[in-house]
Amino acid sequence: MARISIDPVTRIEGHLRVDVEVDGGVVNKAWASCTMWRGLETILRGRDAREGWVFAQRFCGVCTTVHAVASVRAVEDALSLEIPPNAQYIRNLILIGHALHDHIVHFYHLSALDFVDILQIPKADPAKAASIAEGSSSWTGNSRQELAAVQTKVKGLVASGQLGIFSHGYWGHPAMKLSPEVNLILFSHYLQALDFQRKSCQVVAILGGKTPHIQNLAVGGVMNAINLNSLATMNMDRLGMLKAILEDLIPFVQQVFLPDTCLLAAYYPEYFRLGRGVANYLAVPDLPLDAKASKFDLPGGVIMNGNLAVVRPIVDWQDAEFRKAVTEDNTHAWYEGGQFPPYKGQQIPDYTDFKEDAKYTWVKAPRYNGSPMQAGPLANVLVGYASGHALTRKWTDTAFNRIAAVNGLKVTPDDLQSTMGRYLARSIRSAMLSDLALEHLQLLTTNILNGDNTTYNAPQFPTGEIMGMGMHEAPRGSLSHWVVIDKGVFTNYQAVVPTTWNASPRDEKGVPGPYETSLIGSPVVDAEKPLEVLRTVHSFDPCMACSCHTLDAAGKEIAEVKVQ
Amino acid sequence: MNLVSVIGLGNVFLGDDGFGPLAIETFRCEYECPPSVEVLDLGTPGLDLAPYLYDKELIIVVDTVHSDAAVGTLSIFHEEDFLSHKAKLRITGHDPGLWDALAHLRLAGHAPSELIVLGVNPESCEFAEGISDEVSGTAGEAAAIIAHSLTDRGISCVPMQPPAVLKLWWLNKGYAERSRTA
Repeated sequence: MARISIDPVTRIEGHLRVDVEVDGGVVNKAWASCTMWRGLETILRGRDAREGWVFAQRFCGVCTTVHAVASVRAVEDALSLEIPPNAQYIRNLILIGHALHDHIVHFYHLSALDFVDILQIPKADPAKAASIAEGSSSWTGNSRQELAAVQTKVKGLVASGQLGIFSHGYWGHPAMKLSPEVNLILFSHYLQALDFQRKSCQVVAILGGKTPHIQNLAVGGVMNAINLNSLATMNMDRLGMLKAILEDLIPFVQQVFLPDTCLLAAYYPEYFRLGRGVANYLAVPDLPLDAKASKFDLPGGVIMNGNLAVVRPIVDWQDAEFRKAVTEDNTHAWYEGGQFPPYKGQQIPDYTDFKEDAKYTWVKAPRYNGSPMQAGPLANVLVGYASGHALTRKWTDTAFNRIAAVNGLKVTPDDLQSTMGRYLARSIRSAMLSDLALEHLQLLTTNILNGDNTTYNAPQFPTGEIMGMGMHEAPRGSLSHWVVIDKGVFTNYQAVVPTTWNASPRDEKGVPGPYETSLIGSPVVDAEKPLEVLRTVHSFDPCMACSCHTLDAAGKEIAEVKVQ
Repeated sequence: MNLVSVIGLGNVFLGDDGFGPLAIETFRCEYECPPSVEVLDLGTPGLDLAPYLYDKELIIVVDTVHSDAAVGTLSIFHEEDFLSHKAKLRITGHDPGLWDALAHLRLAGHAPSELIVLGVNPESCEFAEGISDEVSGTAGEAAAIIAHSLTDRGISCVPMQPPAVLKLWWLNKGYAERSRTA
């Protein structure tokens, strides 16, 4: 039996350690440990509820906007405050821009190199690669010349013997299966993706005033001034600029990102049978369509035990079951023990070092009616598909047909409950969001043209304690902020974040979380290079709360894999 | 088109790690530059730095750099220093960071023409401790170095008369005290 400790897991956002026990080349036990304390909730206590979002968006260095929006939604919920339709649409467009950015970066820059072997690229025939790529997509960036130029760059890099950031890849690993041509196609898109993640940031910056850390929010709406006759405000020029950026970005999502994940799926079918993990799924409704937030473009719901025949819908943010069902368990986390509903949650540190039978992580164990839940694009897609949501079905079926066109592989919705399903779901969700981006821009434009310039309803804070919860279906899954306010000041603040659901440790009953469960049964061909484990961990797009960002003048390599 | 970016990196709640954001705000308050110069607090973006470096002529990054020098010492690194491993960027779990973003952009042909890192040696990067006097005391000097780096390259950068008042939402005294008593 071998014990493998990967600390930290690289190409993720944040600090994650994963330990697995391997017997006969297969993982039989796993632990996920977050190695950084998140103390922001403590800072928020005693702060003015109107400025909470400014602090909350520093929960993370990457997903800043999602926490800003969840924070204002929580305070608005506590006040039963409606926001104007313009404010809903502007927030929705920011959230879509952010999500597209995040999903593109995750697939190409954080996880593709688990499947793409750079050292195979020099062997590719660019003409053959171009015909493969053009056969599966109408994208114009797949010409033989384009691919040959990328190949020349990679050849130069390989010949120089200095792979730089690519020197730590598991090149030549027996679990690498793409042909030289497909490796070349995906790596070419890896470089092109840099331009498109930039475009999605521009959407956020134009509406949010700045990115990262948007500046336009307020409890009660947004602070974007709308005046079609002014050069300095939101006007038709600005709306036209957004439309042009989206029309540039959308073909990349629909004709490159989605087909690339389908290509990957066709070449790695075994990953539809690996990494299922916790088959309980949670998605919350998002992209509200009206001031009251009574209708949504993304449906929410709960699926239990992998049974796609039954969805318990979460129709809106008032959902009574959700508000009662969520608890956080500190038994195996470095906090003083017990289970708490989020409104009563606390984080008093109780650090013990890594003790696998006791406390071993800074992540609490969230539970839904006592069960661990998987959150993320997969939950989003499964809930949508199982509840017959037309847009989800359209893009999921498109993906299934594309995979079948590559090599005849037939994929069913049930197969999505897997490591590969999580990669596919992220591109399916991106394609859905890219359609919805134009729809919400149109809703905003129409509403403004109808003469509605309102973006803000002023909040009034009562004396006496009030409580509220704000939801968002973030790139990594269901996010909820829970606030207790007295006289306009936070007396408690808890964020139950997607990665807390997924990176959850064991609970009081010893039931492990989604990362931990998904690794059981994973093959490990080479214990020194646990590539299969990384593929499954990366499929969740881990984002541990971001922290200290420092350079080391002396140079120190910290990431390491230890085999005992 | 913004061709020059002055970027502050760091977590504003982790003590001296907030130096980058403090230094660039000090620069913004004390100097006037043409609109081609963008001054940005980017927090802790990891690989998400790439869009902000894309096709720029000059990038000045202000960050915390651990070295054996005295606390508050400012040092300047050029991209060649990183390439020659004189100062290798630390690889933390959360942070493929600057090094990876640069390497990606270089391969794609969209890297900035020039990159300078202005670093300060911190005393402590601990949660909610505020910026130490030794480190915050060098913010003015850091702003002057940024200004010189720009004027050296023919970019107009003149002292603002009078300078604007520095107002940072995360630096107002009291939150650390409040968090300890909460």
